[in-house]
This record gives sequence, C-alpha cells and structure tokens, in this order.
Amino acid sequence: MMADFLMGYSIQSWLESCPQGYLDGTDYGHQAGEKEPESLLDNETFREDAIRTTVQLIAGERAALAASSGLVNAAPDDPSKMFLATQTLDEARHVEIFTQRLYDLGVKKDELDSVISTYVNPNLVKFAEVLLEKVDKQDFIAGVVGQNIVLEGMAFSVFEMMHATNHTNNPKFAHTLSGTIADERRHVGFGENRIGSLIQAHPEKKEEIQKMQQEMTYHMLATFTDSFKTNEDIIEEVQAQTMNDSAPAVFHGVDLARADAREMEAVLANTVLGEFKTRLGRIGLEYLSPAA
Amino acid sequence: MGEFDPHNLSEEDFHAEVHSFQFWLEAVEGYLSGTDFGFEPTLTDQTFSARELNFLITTICNYCIAEKTALEASSGMIRFAPDPESAIFLSTQVVDEGRHLEVFVHRLKMLGVIDPWSEIKARANQSLLKFKDRLLELVDQQDWEAAIFAQNVILEAMEFTVFQSQQPTADPITRSILASIVKDERRHMGFGENDLGRKLVQAPHTRRRLDQISKELNPLVLATFTETASELGILHEDRELAISANYLATIKRLGFAV
Amino acid sequence: MNDPLEVIAGRDQRKRYTLGETGFNEVPKKYRKFYRKWSGQNDKLAPNEVLCPVCLVVIRSARELRPGDRVYCMPCMSRLVVAMEDGMLLAKVVY
Repeated sequence: MMADFLMGYSIQSWLESCPQGYLDGTDYGHQAGEKEPESLLDNETFREDAIRTTVQLIAGERAALAASSGLVNAAPDDPSKMFLATQTLDEARHVEIFTQRLYDLGVKKDELDSVISTYVNPNLVKFAEVLLEKVDKQDFIAGVVGQNIVLEGMAFSVFEMMHATNHTNNPKFAHTLSGTIADERRHVGFGENRIGSLIQAHPEKKEEIQKMQQEMTYHMLATFTDSFKTNEDIIEEVQAQTMNDSAPAVFHGVDLARADAREMEAVLANTVLGEFKTRLGRIGLEYLSPAA
Repeated sequence: MGEFDPHNLSEEDFHAEVHSFQFWLEAVEGYLSGTDFGFEPTLTDQTFSARELNFLITTICNYCIAEKTALEASSGMIRFAPDPESAIFLSTQVVDEGRHLEVFVHRLKMLGVIDPWSEIKARANQSLLKFKDRLLELVDQQDWEAAIFAQNVILEAMEFTVFQSQQPTADPITRSILASIVKDERRHMGFGENDLGRKLVQAPHTRRRLDQISKELNPLVLATFTETASELGILHEDRELAISANYLATIKRLGFAV
Repeated sequence: MNDPLEVIAGRDQRKRYTLGETGFNEVPKKYRKFYRKWSGQNDKLAPNEVLCPVCLVVIRSARELRPGDRVYCMPCMSRLVVAMEDGMLLAKVVY
C-alpha cells in the first residue's frame, strides 16, 4: 500500500536503519582506531593526491547538503519533507567525515579553507551551481532530479569505485565509504520513486530538467577528465609499487589495480552515464548527452 | 576518566566536538534506541475524558505548528550558515525537528484524529502563526543573527519551557515523547544562546536590531504561553508566571529587555 | 580562570571525586558521568557540582569546584565559569 511504502521515508525508519543500524559504534564513519595507511601518509605524492580527491568529495557533499536542506521547504508532502530532513543530515555527516579525513591526512584545521580552495575542481563548482540555481527557485522536481538522480547517482558510482580500490589497502577509508554508499542508495531510491509520478503530472517540466541534466553531465565529465589526467602518473606509481601485492579491485569488469588512468576514467564515465540513462528513463525523462 | 574529561577540552575542541554529527549520533543513541515514534513501545494509552482529550489534541496541534516552523526555519538556514560546523549542527537540528513533527502527528493519529493537518489548521494558535510567519521572513532574508535569535533562542526556549511544564502531568505516552524532545531542545537552545551571545560580544551594534525583534516577538510568545497554560489546565497566575520564567531568564541573560 | 596545570600537579589542594554513572543519557557515553538531572529547588549540590542556568542540568567535575573554574555543559553546549554569589557556587554562561 502507498501509505506503507511512504512510511519508509519516515524518520523512525531512518533512525532504525542508519544511526541505530550501520553507523552504530562507528567513529566518523569507520571503526574506532582505524588509521590511514603509513604508506599513504609517508609518501608526499600519494598524500597530496588523497587530499585532492577528498577535497572533491567535500565539495560534492557541501552541494548536496545545500540542495537537500534547501528542498525541505519545497517538498509537496510530509513524507518527502521527512525524507529530505534525513538526507540533509546524511549529507552533513558526509561533509564531516570527509573533512575529518583531511585532518587525518595531516591538513591542519586553520588550513582547511585554503586547502579546499586550492584543490577544488572548478568544473565541480559549476556542476553544483547548476543544481543550486534550481534549489534557490524552490523547484522541487528539478531539484530532486538534479540532486537525487544526477548528483547522487554520480556519487554512488564514484564511491563504489573508490571502495573497490581501497578495500584492501585502506580499510579505514573503505569503511567510511561503505556507510556513504548505504546512504546514497536511499537518496537515489527516493529520487526515482518519488519523482516519477510528479513528472507524469508535469510534462511541461521535462525539457527544462533534461537541459539541466545535460549541463550537469558536461561539468561532471570535465571533472572526471581533469581528475584522471592529474592522477595519471600517481596511478602508475601506485600500481608499480603494489603490483605483486595487490588483490584485484574489480569495478564493472575492470581491474582497477591494473588499469591505466584512461581506462579508469572510461569505466567510471560509462557506468555513471549508463545509470543516468536507465534511471532517467524509468522516471520518464530522456537522457541528453552533453556532446549533443 | 581523565582522558574524556570534557572540562579539560580547549574551547575550540569543545565547540568542534559538540557541533559534530558524531556527537549527535552518540548522544541520541542514549535516549532514542528502542523507542517507537518517540516513546517506549511497551506503554499503553490511558482513557481520557472528552475534555482532557480536547485539550490534549489542541496542545499537540500547536506543538505540530511549532515543530513544522522549526523544521522549515532550520533547514532554510543551512544555506547561509556562517561556517561548516554551524551547518552541520543545524543539519542535526533539522532531523530533530522533523522527528518531533513526525512523533506529534503520530500521537494525534493515536488519539483518534483522522486528518491531522485539517485539525491542526482548525485549532491553530493565532499568536503562534504570526510568530511563524515572522520567523520564516527572517530566514528568507538570510539574516543569521535574527533567525538564530527568533528560532533557536525564542522559539526553542518557548518549546523547552512548555514541554517541561507539561511533562509531569502528561499521560505516560505523551510524557515519554516529551522527555526525548526536551533532550533535543536543550541542544537547540544552547546552540542559539551561545552562538548569539558570541556574536553580540563580537559585534555589539547588532544588539539594537535584535532588541527590536525581541520587542516585536515577545508579546506573541507570551500570548502563546497564556493560551497554552489555559489548554494545559494551568490556571493559576503563579503557574502562568512559572511557565514563562525560564523563557524570560534566557532573554535577560543575553541582555535584552523583556 | 584557574590553571588546569595545578590540577595535574596536585598542587591545588582540592578534593578529588570518582564519578559514577547517574543515568544521564543525553550526551555520548564517555561524557555521561559528568552530568545529571536536577531534581529541583531541594536538590542539594555537592562541592563538585554546579547547575547550568541555560538548560538546568547539573554539571559534575572530578575535582572540587572553585570560583574561576571553567566548566562545559555538553547537553546545551554552553561554556560556563564558576562564581560565588551569596555564599553559593553557581555557574555563569560565558559567550
């Protein structure tokens, strides 16, 4: 029944799944006492790379926090409001745990703002701006598609890929990511399930939303290209150092422990875009390629 | 014990600790684990007289207005929070307020209300509605000091006071619900009073503007107290004063005229 | 503000207290024994306790409290300084 289904969006349900579930006993998203590996902290190149990557995650989560909190008041019904309230806190938690990771990587608290401005990818900033323009207009449908299908869909695949590359060599970060992946599942699920009927009721919004998706996808792919281009040498160095020790890190059929930067970028982009097409199709929207 | 002695924390570490999601997570574990919509699932409802039920439903309807206001205000404020720690704290407040609204609406249904939001509309306290409109205006204007003052100092202090006043005489289920809510409100009130207090020390000229807002909102708050005291059956003048004393003490500590 | 280093060195001649659980459950586990519920006007505070004026929770310390001591109230996130007024110890909020 619809009423039972919507109960899944309740705060009671979130409490039982999340803080009383998979977050119970965790410390900033991982098990107490887990640390970043010495091999990462002692190598300045790897450490800087980890900082750069984590900065992008923080930027994405800050955008998600601004979007979900901004959409609470635009929500047309109580279950959606309640869900977005829980998503607001999930995103805040993500900001916090990734910020904590920066501190664990040696960034000092008074350096936080300057480190973020130094390393944040300008394309990711633009990606966020496109979304937040809709949120600021209190456009619920566009906001949820942009946030819960596009942004969260991207984050879901990025986190899964990072989890695959870290689960052997960096259990602390992998555990941190597991919790965020569990959260993103809910967020993406809300996007798909809640928005489908609203889009059917408002077909006049399709063109505008598809254009928003196209623009966000452009900036997302540009962010990926920048990131993998910057990391090309580091990826080679890591693989050279760990070649004989590394267990396979398989992500959608590609062994990330042995793939080069271009292959990694391709599998990530293809995965994300494939999921966009599928999810958008399910809710009655057509995926628009940024190349079009 | 020395390792976790909170009084040994530096001020910076203390603020970072108490505003974090991690702190919230570990704090609410203490009193929300095992509860079902805010109360112990083993509790059963008592039988109410028609008069008691009527007053209780009116009271909870107005609690719903207050909590919905708080939910909308706190979520709206995240966008212009002055720093990430404040944004994270407000995010915990968003879920707290959402939870409060959810449990009160659930309570109304338990009390036999078929359409909670129609009932809420019919029984709404007019002073509270005016307060709500003004608060949400301040949030729309992205005025941090004014919004924090109205939301986390005035509204939260009002709720804290009223919930604490009702708790001792409430039925077991309502009492259990209020007990957990009061614990959340302590954090919200404390955040507001301390944040505003710090800002007033740093920028004393802000006081004049907030004094105006205080003068504007105080009559609405005190009118709400009077009506609520009547609904709760607290009819004597001295109890009416008690219900507002805590609230007035907060305003006074911050140096505002009452 | 009183010098916390004096506490560590034990030079301050203050009585020490071993804090037990009080049933207080509003803060993370590791901090719970530092707070307890206030039971009202008849609640007599120990020499290592003060009442938070913001949220009316009793704050407890592992040492005897004196005017000038800084304490924190975690339930309401307030910073307080202990003061003596009319012969009684109380806590004042410091913004």
